[in-house]
This record gives sequence, structure tokens and C-alpha cells, in this order.
Amino acid sequence: MASEVVMPKLGATMEEGTIVSWLVQVGELVEDGDPIAEIQTDKIVMEIEAETTGVLLKTLYDAGTAVKVHEVVAYLGDEGESAEGLGDDLSKSTKAFGEKLEQTVNETTAINEVSVWACDKIRRTPAARKLAEESQLNLYDIAGSGPLGRIQKIDVENYLQQQDTKRITPLAKKIADDQGIDYKQIEGTGSHGKIRKEDLVSTPVTNEKVMVLADKRMPFKGMRKVIADRISASAYTAPHVTLLSEIDMTNCVALRQDLLPIIEKVEGLRISFNEILIKATAFALKQNPNINISLEGQEIVYHSHVNIGMAVAVPDGLVVPVLRNVDQKGLAAITSEAKGIGKQARDGKLSPDDMQGSTFTISNLGMYAIDGFTPIINSPNAAILGIGRIQKKTVVVNDELAIRSMMNLSLSFDHRIIDGAPAAAFLTDLKDVLENPFKLMI
Amino acid sequence: MREVTYLEAIREAMSQEMRKDDNVFIMGEDIGIYGGAFGLTNGMIEEFGPERVRNTPISEAAISGCAVGAAMTGMRPILEIQFSDFIMIAMDNIVNQAAKTRYMYGGKAQVPIVIRLPGGSGAGFAAQHSQSLEAWMTHVPGLKVVQPSNAYDAKGLMKAAIKDNNPVLFYEHKLLYNTKGEVPEEDYEIPLGQADIKKEGSDITIVATAIMVNKALEAAVELEKEGISVEVIDPRTLVPLDTATILESVKKTSRVLVVYEAVKRSGYGAEIVSMIAESDVFDYLDAPIRRLGGLATPIPYNPVLEKAAVPQVDDIVQECKKLMNK
Repeated sequence: MASEVVMPKLGATMEEGTIVSWLVQVGELVEDGDPIAEIQTDKIVMEIEAETTGVLLKTLYDAGTAVKVHEVVAYLGDEGESAEGLGDDLSKSTKAFGEKLEQTVNETTAINEVSVWACDKIRRTPAARKLAEESQLNLYDIAGSGPLGRIQKIDVENYLQQQDTKRITPLAKKIADDQGIDYKQIEGTGSHGKIRKEDLVSTPVTNEKVMVLADKRMPFKGMRKVIADRISASAYTAPHVTLLSEIDMTNCVALRQDLLPIIEKVEGLRISFNEILIKATAFALKQNPNINISLEGQEIVYHSHVNIGMAVAVPDGLVVPVLRNVDQKGLAAITSEAKGIGKQARDGKLSPDDMQGSTFTISNLGMYAIDGFTPIINSPNAAILGIGRIQKKTVVVNDELAIRSMMNLSLSFDHRIIDGAPAAAFLTDLKDVLENPFKLMI
Repeated sequence: MREVTYLEAIREAMSQEMRKDDNVFIMGEDIGIYGGAFGLTNGMIEEFGPERVRNTPISEAAISGCAVGAAMTGMRPILEIQFSDFIMIAMDNIVNQAAKTRYMYGGKAQVPIVIRLPGGSGAGFAAQHSQSLEAWMTHVPGLKVVQPSNAYDAKGLMKAAIKDNNPVLFYEHKLLYNTKGEVPEEDYEIPLGQADIKKEGSDITIVATAIMVNKALEAAVELEKEGISVEVIDPRTLVPLDTATILESVKKTSRVLVVYEAVKRSGYGAEIVSMIAESDVFDYLDAPIRRLGGLATPIPYNPVLEKAAVPQVDDIVQECKKLMNK
């Protein structure tokens, strides 16, 4: 018997959600708790999870479709079960905007964050409140730049200035900005005249209005310059060697499934592979203290603690906030800290202290279609771990073919202060603990 | 225009009024041949004689009592309290008599006295001779309180104070006595209750009193270099207070710093802050209103500590940066 998968209602004000992507193909097997699809509300991007184990029989909407809450979006059932007739009477009732969401959306925010945000009192100055009121703006939509996130008048003014420009999807805006298109002249075809990507492309080029696509030139300064200088310094002074290893993550996948509800209950947050990898790396670093080192001036520093820098992509750049004493912390604490500091990073609220003192760095591209890469060391650390995506592959286990969740790790190290053999030993230990994650309990 | 000191400007205002009106006279400790503790009345006894420049015993109660009595009989006395700290001895005459008489007699009697009060710290006079207690007087209905910050204002305000039919407390800052400013020789008056915008600006309104006006103006120059535009307002009289000028400025800048030398706790700056917070201009505030005042300590004798006990230019600069989230 087929069971329904519905669009969840994630907040009191949520009326519909947009399917960003299907994470599972029709005919694929999913287990209870596996993510099936990514959905986006006006505030967040989330995953819909399977509530039973079964085969995805049918999806009713394509990615990019907005669906009302509680509407059925897919069916799960037994293998071989017929999908015929399922949901035939439903699809007409749902409004389909068809607005494609082609931006990359990776971050999943916890559900409870929505409710906390919604009931939180906003810090704002009287002037900001008055201007927002006069302009009929909701202060919840505006990010504050003052102390403790206080919304200042200037924040409302900046927001208004953005609003003054035409309604435009983020993707279309990016294309327009990149190509120097004056989108204010364009009539949008989206809801309420919102300009979509298609509108930019189909803008009629007449004799009077010839679209000039000028190259955009940006000054090479600020965060970009800092990143550039640091990357160059590391790449050109530290001789990099990168070791690769393929890890069987099947046990870690199971561990995460088991820990998900437990940690969610404690911290209200969903543990990611990222946190398990941080924990396992700290464990392996403790076993291999000759990797947890930095080259500072004329000295090689063997760190007594394990502070892991976590590369976080932010608009137009990259920051590396630091999780401290990871070797002494449990997965719940690491999850809470990593999510917290990641959010701070993306909100641009990190202090310089938050980015100081790493002894080792992790760069995780597992959310992209990246199998492996050669990261550049985050000086003065001596090594950096690059993480690729987890993919099911056929591998040989006990002389038989098996389907396992596989992942590539790459370890770039500074060959001046780490030799090949200890680096290989570290990566081997890390592989061992990831394939046998119960060792983390030792 | 000619430049004279703050001290000379006050002397000139009193002398000019004494020449015009025989009822005006001055009294105080050693104000005759000695010229007063700060030399402010130098030469006046020669011009006006001992009848109108009266030396008194060292008793503030006696001086103030005589002054109130003389005023009720139609005279217009100006009395000098050698240091404003000594006003405590004269308090009953000022608060219970001078401030109440006109009201209780339905206007049939009045007490037109001016009480000159050298106040403030910075001259090394230690805890009993350096206080700024003007807020006490602002609390009493029936008294007017004046605090000039430069020579020009001092002359104009002194004339208005002498002509006012109510008791006026005239606070002079010791460190300002020798500061010079352009002061016209001719007669002019600055009405009590009229604030002055000492410098226009767009980002922060600083309401400062007495010598803090000058410090705020110095701070404004520093802040200008960092792109922060400060408007400096000198209320000039605390009672009556020109609320309109202050509020108009706050509406424009949306940020306020109130600076005064008196102990911050319960100082008159608190009254200014409350007035702004209660007003319609509240809606225009884009930052919490801040106060900068003296520390809650007796003024120290040690010159380094004495400076540290009251706001200085750099303190004002730092506070303004905080207001700008910088």
C-alpha cells in the first residue's frame, strides 16, 4: 500500500513550500528518515524526510514548483508496486508558480529556529521602528547592523533602497549585475511583475534600446584581497603534497541516522556528517600529534589542544571560524557549536577571535557534486583535510560486490614539516575511525 | 572686535548696570579693595564706593539674608559666594525665602537677586572648593539657573539676570575666567531660556553645559577628522530650559550625548535626557541617549586624578564613536 509524502508545515505562517530538488529518483529505495526532497519556504531551505522505508513510487511535482502545505507531493510504496492513478486528482488543485529556483541552496536550518525567530522581540531604535512603520515594512525582514543586531535607521533605509529597485529574483539579479543589464527597464513576467531569468534573456533588442553587455570590474581589495594574499603565501611557501583515500562511510551514515533524533532532542539541531568528520578528525589528530602542528617563525609548535578551523563559504568569499578543544567535546556540543559558528559566519557576525587559533583545518565540499580535491593549507597550520561527497558505489567487500556509501578524503600537508609516512599514517587512522565510528567512544 | 576675558565681561556687565540703576549693588567676602577671591571685582570699589561694593563678614547666611531683605525692599543686589560650594550655608535663605516670596505674596513682593557662584574643578582647590552643584538649585521652583560658557554669553546673561525679577543663580566656571572672547562694549542682553547652537552638525547632538561646551567643541574638531559631524548645543540657562532648540537638533541628528561636569548621577543632564525621551522626538532616536558626567567621587586634590574625575575631550570623542557604533 502506497503511503503519502506531504509538504510539511514548518511554521505558523507557512502556507506553501517550493520543491527545490528531488534528492531521490523514482524507483530508488529510501529508508525511514532519509531525505527525499529539498524544499524552500520564505525563510529557510529544509529536507523532507521519509517517514517509512520504501521505494519512491511517484513524484507529483517537478523541482521549482510551489506546493501548499499538507498537499501530497510524492508516494512511497513497496518495490514493484504500481504507481498508476496515484495523485491524479490532486495535482490540479495546487497552484504552480513554476518559478525555478536555480540558485544553489545548501544550508538547511533547523525547524525550531523559525519559531524562536518569530517570537523573539526585535531590537530596533525608535527611528528605525518609525521609518519601518511609515514604509509599511516588517522589521523581521530587516537585518540589524547595530550592537547585538539592533536595527538602526540606516538598515531600514538600505532595505528600502533595495525595495525601490524592481522586484527581481536573486538569480536574475545576479545575472543582471554580472552582465551589466539595467533590469529596471525590464517588465517582469513573474508573480507581481517579478523579473525572472527568462525576462532578461528575452528582452527585445530594438534599435533604440541596444543592450550593451559590459564587463564588470571590481576593485581587488577587502576580503578578496586578504584571501588572495593568504592563499598565495601558503601555496608558494609551503610545498604541498596531497594524499587521497577513499572511505567507506556506511557505518557513519548509520551512526548519523541513530544520532539524529537524540541530538535533535538535546540541541534542537540536526547533526550533519560535517560534525562527525570534525569529531573523527580530532580523534585521529590526538593519535597523531605530529600532524596537529604549526610552523610559527623558527619554531614548529606541537599543539596540546585540537582546534579545528572550518572553511565556510560566505557571499563573495570564504572565512574559517575555529571550533576549540574539539577532542574534549561530544557530538552534541560539536553540532551546536559548528551550526552556531557557521550561521554567525554567513551572517557576517564573526569576531576576529572566532577565526584565530586553529591547529588544523577542514574544507568540506561534500554538499556539491565534488568527489575530491586538493585543498591549500590554511597557514600556519601544517595540514588541511578536503572532504568530497558521499556516494553509493559498488565495492568489493569480503570478495563480493556490495553497495556502500563511499567518500573521498584528501589531506594536503606542508612537506617541510610533515613527512609522507606520518601523514599517510594519520589519514589511515582517520579512515579507520570513520569506517569504525564506535572507536570514537574509546 | 575687542577681546576680553570671561571675568572682565562679567565685571563689565555689572558695572554697566550699576551705572544705569542706583538700586543695583554688589556684596560679598573681600570684594572691595582685594577684588574678591578671583579678582573679578577689581577696581569696582574705586568707581562705586563702599556703599555699593559692600564687604561682608565670612557668613554666607548673613550675606544671603541681607540680600533677600534688601531685594524685598526694592534693591537689586548681586552677591558673590566666594566658592559655589559654600551655598549650603545660604540655602535656607535662597530656597525657603528667595524662591517662595514672590509666589506666596501673590507678586506683591519680589526678590530680584543675582547670586554669583564660581564653581567647577580643575584649579587644584580640592573637594570642598571644586564642586558643580547646580542641579540642586534647578530642583527648586522659583529659582532661575544660568551657566555661561564664554565671555560673550557671560556678559549678556549677567545683564538679563540683573534685570530679572526672580532670584537667579549665576554659575561661573573658575577655569573659564581667563578665557578670552569677542565681547562688544555696548549694552546687549541674552534672554534667559535661550539655548545657543555653538556648532552645527548632522550626526550627533551634544548638549553640554559650562566648560563642557568648550570641550565638546574641541572633540567635534577631532570627530570631524573621522567623518562624524557633531552639533554642539549650549543651553546657557538650565532653568528656564530651551527645550525647542534641543529637540529640533535631536530630530535632525537622531543621536544625543549630554555632557556635564557635575557628578553624572542625578546631575542636570539626567533632566535633559528625560525631557528628550519623553518628547515626540523619541521617534527619531537612532541610538540610546548617552550621558557623560563626573565620577561619583569627591573632586581629588591630586591634579591627575582631578582631571580623571570629570569628562575630558577624549572621553567625549570616545562616547561619540560609541554612539556611531564605531
